[in-house]
Amino acid sequence: MGLFNYTPAEKLNGQTAARPGKRFGNSYFRGFSIVSFLLGWQLLVSFRLLELPSPFETAIVFLDLVVHGDPLYNKTLPEIVWSSLRIVVQACLISILIAVPLGVLMGAVEWFRHYVDAMLEMLRPIPPLAWIPLAYVIFANAGRPTEYVQIFVVFVGAFFPILLDTIHGISMVNRIHVEAARTMGASRKQVLTQIMLPGSLPSIFNGIRVGFGVGWMCIVAAEFVGGKLGIGYYIWSSYSVGGRVAEIISGVIAIGLVGTVMNRFILFLEKRLVPWR
Amino acid sequence: MYTGNGIKKVLLVSVLVVIAAMLLSGCSGKKEEKSGQQNVKNDDNLVYLVQTPPPNMLEQLKAKEIDGFIAWEPFGTTAINAGDGKYLFKSPDIWEDHPCCVLAVSQSFKDSKTIEAVTWAHIKAVRFINDPNNKEKVLNYAAEFTGKNPEIVSEALKNITYVEYPAKDEFKEYYNSLEEGKLLKKSVTDIGFADGEKFFDGFLQDSVYKSIADKLDKDPNWKPSSVPGNIKFRIGYLNADLHQLPIYVAEKEGYYRNVGLVAGRTLETKTYQNGVAVMEAFKVKDIDMAYLGGAPATLKRINDDIPIEVVAGANNEGSGLVVRSDLGINTVEDLKGKTIAVPGVGTVQYTLLEKALREKGLRPVIK
Repeated sequence: MGLFNYTPAEKLNGQTAARPGKRFGNSYFRGFSIVSFLLGWQLLVSFRLLELPSPFETAIVFLDLVVHGDPLYNKTLPEIVWSSLRIVVQACLISILIAVPLGVLMGAVEWFRHYVDAMLEMLRPIPPLAWIPLAYVIFANAGRPTEYVQIFVVFVGAFFPILLDTIHGISMVNRIHVEAARTMGASRKQVLTQIMLPGSLPSIFNGIRVGFGVGWMCIVAAEFVGGKLGIGYYIWSSYSVGGRVAEIISGVIAIGLVGTVMNRFILFLEKRLVPWR
Repeated sequence: MYTGNGIKKVLLVSVLVVIAAMLLSGCSGKKEEKSGQQNVKNDDNLVYLVQTPPPNMLEQLKAKEIDGFIAWEPFGTTAINAGDGKYLFKSPDIWEDHPCCVLAVSQSFKDSKTIEAVTWAHIKAVRFINDPNNKEKVLNYAAEFTGKNPEIVSEALKNITYVEYPAKDEFKEYYNSLEEGKLLKKSVTDIGFADGEKFFDGFLQDSVYKSIADKLDKDPNWKPSSVPGNIKFRIGYLNADLHQLPIYVAEKEGYYRNVGLVAGRTLETKTYQNGVAVMEAFKVKDIDMAYLGGAPATLKRINDDIPIEVVAGANNEGSGLVVRSDLGINTVEDLKGKTIAVPGVGTVQYTLLEKALREKGLRPVIK
């Protein structure tokens, strides 16, 4: 269920090929992966190839940040992360609310797809961060521009993966199923809610998962505009003060951890909500 | 799709627990206060700080997202000129002669002839700026350098004191505030100094400045020997920072050319966005000398042990706290419960604001 876990074709077809190595269980390899990463890190430090704190020192700082917080900001790491996470969740929910209906329409109605596509095609390659200055202009009179700018940047980041996967999901729905339903007298609405949507949900979920991932990446950079102390600015601020490499690594680890948790949480939801996948 | 369900379940549960823990700790509000920032009895005395790069402060103030900001010129004057706020206090009201921008040299740059030449050009430029006869010219240079209109620049210039060397005692006071605020990760002994006194003797290296100033005082037309024509000297500065006007004046008034520093041949100028970037450039030996803020210079000198020395000052003071004019904020006490933007923890502006707040029994907290 990891990021790169693809189901092999033979499994899809219901065959379970007994492969060598399977006996040990993949979780051993996962554990081994982490151990070798830490070992490599430790070696880099031991041989003074990089001026980093050792994994152990970092772990101490990390735990201290989680439990006692950073005396410089009087905040614990979870508090700092939460401030970023809130924005990502808000932005991604807005993305879902807009991108999914739009994607369904675009996937189902051809002329509409062409109509919207012409606009979006040019917007898509624009990196979310390039929107920051313009977003400031757009939200200049909106009360809390910094927060809205951050939400907007994450929104842009999350929007396209969700939209594209929704369109993909709709267009991948088996035409025979649609035709069959139509011949048996299903209304357009029934086709949409009972054939198209269920058929495309796995793909939509995939889009949401990727969208949250991209959004989470965007927030870190979007926070450089300032505002409430989130994890991105925490790292930047620690860097500005200097000599706080362990804190910086702890922040980076927190970002990775939250990203992983988010990914798995959405997979978990998907398993619950789309059991027919 | 799933194998080893037991392990996965455990993982999943632990992941959910982590999420729950995070949400809870994020939502459960205030915990007991920790060290580093003074304990107070009640929460009425809080002033909220947000960290923001100064250009964004202007937008945030306009949108009323913040109630005020503390930054260097010309940001304060720009906001006031746009009608978005007023000055509550300026640097000298709180902390006279507080350090600001300096001219620093990398310790690995050993060419004392060039250091002398550059420092000379700098001092000449500072004297040019401070000469009342040059007011008109300085104003034009300042407007060109920052790209702001002359009206703003002339107001802003009034709040900046250009100096030839920073006040040592004020630098030490800044250092003490860093130590108190737990901003120093290393102590001066970690980077090879016996104590704070010895550190400042090495860090604030005024011997070059003193000998040049001496000679200039005796003969205003004295100039050091030119640098050799085959060197490639690299100097860094902050983009359009009014505090660093001397570098622009030195170039425009021909002081650099007078000592053989010709842009494009023997002299290469590099611009940076902030002092942290300048210090990184020092670290990777991308520049030989640079203008930068005293704060990043001190912080990174100690915390990251980036070996530089301050050979001259550029300015003291030159910052101020701008507040919205519609809130009835007339004294520092009125800042209670308000949100103020600062350029960053550990900056001179942050130290200045903290000093002002503490004097009135208020306590800053990062929002």
